[in-house]
Amino acid sequence: MQAVQPAAQSSTPVLMFPALSMLRSERSLIGVHILVSLVALSLGLLMGPFQTFRRAPAVTEALGGQAVAMPIFTYYYQALTLHGVLNALVFTTFFIVGFSYFITQRSLQRPMWSLRAAWVAFVLMLVGLLLAAYAIITNQANVLYTFYAPMVAHWTFYLGLTLVIVGTWVAFLNIVMTYLGWRKDHPGQAVPLAVFATLCNYVMWFTATLGVATQVLTMMLPLSLGIIRTTDPQVTRILFWFFGHPLVYFWLIPAYISWYTMLPKQIGGRLFSDQMARVAFLMLMIFSVPVGVHHLFVDPGVSEFAKISHSLLTFVVAVPSFLTAFNLAATLERAGHQRGANALSWIWKQPWGNPVVAAQFCGMLLFVVGGITGVMNASFSLNLALHNTTWVVGHFHMTLAGAVTLTYIGVLYWLLPMMRGRKLFMPKLALAQVFLWFSGMIVFGAGMGRAGIEGAIRRTDMGGAGAYISDLWAPWLNLSAIGGALLLVSSILLYVVLVGTWFASKGQAEVEAPIDTTGPASSRPEWFERWGVWTAVIVISNVIMWGPVLIQAIDVVNGFFVPGNPGPAGPGF
Amino acid sequence: MHIDRLEKYWIVIVAAVLGAFFASLLAAMLVFGLRLPSLPAEFVNPLALSETRFASPGLRDMGDGNYELTLTSLMWRFNTGSSERDADGNDIIRVPRGSRVTFFVTSADVTHGLMVERHNLNIQVIPGHVGRGTIVFNEPGEYKILCHEYCGAGHHRMHATIIVE
Repeated sequence: MQAVQPAAQSSTPVLMFPALSMLRSERSLIGVHILVSLVALSLGLLMGPFQTFRRAPAVTEALGGQAVAMPIFTYYYQALTLHGVLNALVFTTFFIVGFSYFITQRSLQRPMWSLRAAWVAFVLMLVGLLLAAYAIITNQANVLYTFYAPMVAHWTFYLGLTLVIVGTWVAFLNIVMTYLGWRKDHPGQAVPLAVFATLCNYVMWFTATLGVATQVLTMMLPLSLGIIRTTDPQVTRILFWFFGHPLVYFWLIPAYISWYTMLPKQIGGRLFSDQMARVAFLMLMIFSVPVGVHHLFVDPGVSEFAKISHSLLTFVVAVPSFLTAFNLAATLERAGHQRGANALSWIWKQPWGNPVVAAQFCGMLLFVVGGITGVMNASFSLNLALHNTTWVVGHFHMTLAGAVTLTYIGVLYWLLPMMRGRKLFMPKLALAQVFLWFSGMIVFGAGMGRAGIEGAIRRTDMGGAGAYISDLWAPWLNLSAIGGALLLVSSILLYVVLVGTWFASKGQAEVEAPIDTTGPASSRPEWFERWGVWTAVIVISNVIMWGPVLIQAIDVVNGFFVPGNPGPAGPGF
Repeated sequence: MHIDRLEKYWIVIVAAVLGAFFASLLAAMLVFGLRLPSLPAEFVNPLALSETRFASPGLRDMGDGNYELTLTSLMWRFNTGSSERDADGNDIIRVPRGSRVTFFVTSADVTHGLMVERHNLNIQVIPGHVGRGTIVFNEPGEYKILCHEYCGAGHHRMHATIIVE
């Protein structure tokens, strides 16, 4: 291994990373994760716009009364399952695991604790993905990505998801061990912010996945295999949403890592407050789990008291995002002033022409909309009008498909050139892709949001025979289809740029990895890294917030009485 | 730990705004009587609905403009006990203007949802549990009862109609 040299102060090897390219071991490990995530995304993205076309009455009318057919997977709910599973679970998870290896190795300037464990984790996740994909593609898992009982998919769907999660646990272990090795060699130093945030993210993820793992292993998987015959749908929903809300923060934190630790370098500035960033990540780690009942506001088996208290903590978990808004705005303002901007012009005197930066700015703008609509959803009074309407779909497309995905695209626009050692292919086209995505998503979100206020229901094949569409929804569903068309064009451009960078780009790479290798020279770094204390806080808060919810939902008289129905196997079911 | 002066003001503003939101939620519940479809739990055995009130769904007149509507969700229709049907075979219920209707709903098979167009009634219909909610129909017109949770291949055609006369 030509790049490994013994460090002066310790026995651990220190990796010397090239600035503009990747080590071979690094490139292959991170490359396979990114490759799988992008293949999944390509199919998942394709399913999105066609749903908007199929739901739009104007499109159906223009085609003489025949709604648009979904591409490849013509059954709407199969396409919808693919859209959710591939975009929200597969693209994100593979991208995040690959990206966190990159961050960990580069920030700590040392190899992962075990390269073999990293590959074991990847193989587990890949096998899991293939198993779940088999079930979905063969029409045996049309259960959407929330798979509510007692609808049952083919057992390979659940086993596949389990393997993906177990793979992320192995990745978590690997990152923790790498951190502990670094910790031993660097007493008294604060860990770089990006790694601190990555650790927070995996601690939260591990906590959350215990819920869905319990649900899948004790209820759904045995049910799908015929080992047990009945289950309790309310309990499965509670376990799922123990996991489901932290899931969205699992996607978000890597985007925050890019905004907090990489964007300042990319705009030629410095982060305003490292300490407040750490406070934000700690709050996300602790408060993102005991809030999940806000997905169950209209569930009959959950008490009003639990709903009120989870609503309160949902407002608390909004605080780190408000802190982030302040910290990043201050960072941007200071960088703008250094460039000679005044009190307002710092907003546009930024490198908006750089697709890497523009993607993150656009993501932030969409996140403002996503954050505000999120606080509205957290209000159980408004939720009565909005639950399971297309409003919710509009909301989480501002966060997941907006802030998260646009930031990941921004990352890909420097990470992929670095991996390949070539320049980004057609940067102007990449910039157009970013702005098209932003416009498409805001138009789509406005349409879905307004239709939802009028009562349009989500996850519904409105182009299907016998579907009801109110006249009040129609104009807004049509608007969302315009957004869908813009997003389809943007998605095509995205793959032109990505594939072009890999195969057709000519010049040498020139963007360095925007990675910090040291933490701040703070006087008391240990304060943030007391993981034992944080673990105790997480355990206690969740026992208090979730324990009673789970116990009250269980029907002690009748028991687990609902039989598992066979999964809806295609349109005939 | 150092916190910038302006950031301290920001934190106070954020806390005040979120606090006001939460206070208004509590007021909605305590002052204005908002209720969520919640516990106290009413469990039913979904395999033996014929032994419960859901054996005979229907609209019951409780007097003084109060009604109770007992209905079951099943793939893919609402069984409201009404004999009136639309062209697609979906149930139609009629209530007088100003009626105050309390819904009791459960599922006979998978997880469903229930919402009434342009009214604040929204219930997750879960096998084994009774969802409950009350709304008042002040405006004459036709309102759809919609299933808002994906429940299989016929989900999109699962609805019923309430006609307020």
